[in-house]
Amino acid sequence: MSKLPPVVIDNGTGYTKMGFAGNTDPQFVIPTVIGLPNQSRYGIASKRGIEDLDFHIGDEAVTNSKSYGLNYPIRHGQIDNWDHMERYWEQSIFKYMRCEPEDHYFLLTEPPLNAPENREQMAEIFFESFNVQGLYIAVQAVLALAASWTAKNSQQTLTGTVIDSGDGVTHVIPVAEGYVLGSSIKHIPIAGRDITAFVQQLMREHGETKIPPEDSLEIARRIKEHYSYTCHDMSKEFQKFDADPVKYFKSLDAVNSINQQTYKVDIGYERFLAPEVFFNPELVSSDFLTPLPEVVDTCIQVSPIDTRRGLYNNIVLSGGSTMFKDFGKRLQRDIKRIVDGRIKMSEDLSGGRLQAKPIDVNVVAHKKQRHAVWFGGSIMACTDQFYQFSHTKAEYEEYGPSICRHNRVFESLA
Amino acid sequence: MPAYHSNYNSVSDVHVINGIPLLPLVTKTRGPAPYADPSMTYDIVDETIELFRPNSFFKNFEIKGNGDRLLIYTILFISQCLNKIKATMPLGEATKALYSLAVSQVVIPADAGFPLHSMYPAVADRAEADMLRQYLLQVRQEVATRLVTVVYAGGQMEMPSKWWLCFQKRHFMGKVMN
Repeated sequence: MSKLPPVVIDNGTGYTKMGFAGNTDPQFVIPTVIGLPNQSRYGIASKRGIEDLDFHIGDEAVTNSKSYGLNYPIRHGQIDNWDHMERYWEQSIFKYMRCEPEDHYFLLTEPPLNAPENREQMAEIFFESFNVQGLYIAVQAVLALAASWTAKNSQQTLTGTVIDSGDGVTHVIPVAEGYVLGSSIKHIPIAGRDITAFVQQLMREHGETKIPPEDSLEIARRIKEHYSYTCHDMSKEFQKFDADPVKYFKSLDAVNSINQQTYKVDIGYERFLAPEVFFNPELVSSDFLTPLPEVVDTCIQVSPIDTRRGLYNNIVLSGGSTMFKDFGKRLQRDIKRIVDGRIKMSEDLSGGRLQAKPIDVNVVAHKKQRHAVWFGGSIMACTDQFYQFSHTKAEYEEYGPSICRHNRVFESLA
Repeated sequence: MPAYHSNYNSVSDVHVINGIPLLPLVTKTRGPAPYADPSMTYDIVDETIELFRPNSFFKNFEIKGNGDRLLIYTILFISQCLNKIKATMPLGEATKALYSLAVSQVVIPADAGFPLHSMYPAVADRAEADMLRQYLLQVRQEVATRLVTVVYAGGQMEMPSKWWLCFQKRHFMGKVMN
């Protein structure tokens, strides 16, 4: 019997991406939120024994948020409330994916440094509540690396540095041959949400008073997503705007969401200042001041010395906030500058007696960046090895949830 | 990539008072500024007008030389000028307002009223202070005239450009001169 395609679910803090393996894009991208009925609606008399089915997930939960309280089961990438998460998965599978879990293998994702106990808990839910055929839990950063294999300049290795920037937080995760170097992971408290807020602030400063307050966030997000690009040099970019205002200043026609009237919004320097936040965090933050290229460099410098060349050689972007035009190029240039500076300094210190082999810095950008983790999972679940590496129902019944502590990809090494 | 620094930091053969180098200016107003080469078309005022916008986003700034000290002074003055211009002010009125701001109460960094007083070395004597005051007066007048031309896009615009006025609320190093 030919097997049905595995189901790939990537539960992120903000959004859940799910779909069948082999597809290039997830079938559903919905907010990771569950709407549970407000307590007061159930008196003792009205209990009919089906209250536990009365809940919504994703966009439906958001639209029904008046009568259903919203709960976010994932916090900072980690599952926070297992009961809510189980019910979230229940609707994901039966209402959204509409599949029979006993006919499919499942690929789930976990953040780096996830506790093995969480993995066991996941296995318990999937094997016992949903009775799945097989389960594989992959690390998000590793899947992001796999997703980059489709890029033209990709080396197709599992060694590399993953820069994962979503809505809430940005991580820099070094991975050597599929192993996450946990001690070297760096976090940056700046991500999509902060950039949108910054754009919003700039819009207010140049007096876009026509934007109604309730649409302001949405307009800022649209400007960030559709009009922004990464510049080479802030000061020179300002002069480019002066020299050719017609080309650089843009305007956007927007519709007021309440009275449906159209209005015009002028777009100026926020076009290049938005992504600049990563390279000059000082623009938005007063306590975190280290630019992203410097964070990436330190992250690689604290990793084991024999992995560093590989890590510089394959810096992979993942997540929506890395989608700015030319983001990869700018990052590559800035990291290259730091690395070359260091090599030059050590050569000078040796008095010209030492010649270092130059380090290749390569930032890999590709078309699937936005849902890179899910896409990587989709590729991974299509390979033949996926079934070998997965834990099956039979094994679970034989050994129990502890089998998920062990990852068979690294069997020969363990 | 932190804030931009002045290219005049490394200029050494120049008279320095109160940490401020008396650099040559392309100007017609009389004063103690050294004689400028007639072929010179770019000076510290041009540089400051260029760096004003990117630098206004920064709160931290490391002074790397005397050029930076003059840069700070001039950026703070530009910011003060922009706050004098109102969104509905025609060109002529703005020119007048900025000129009168430039010539009234010339603060030098040694004065207690200057926001970054402590970042500048002390001034030697009264005569030096007066000379600096005269030099800064020249700088201020030059800033006032050139700023008006950029804010009104070379005099082509009736009203000031909103792409300059949006910097009114941004304060370089979080400081305001008044």
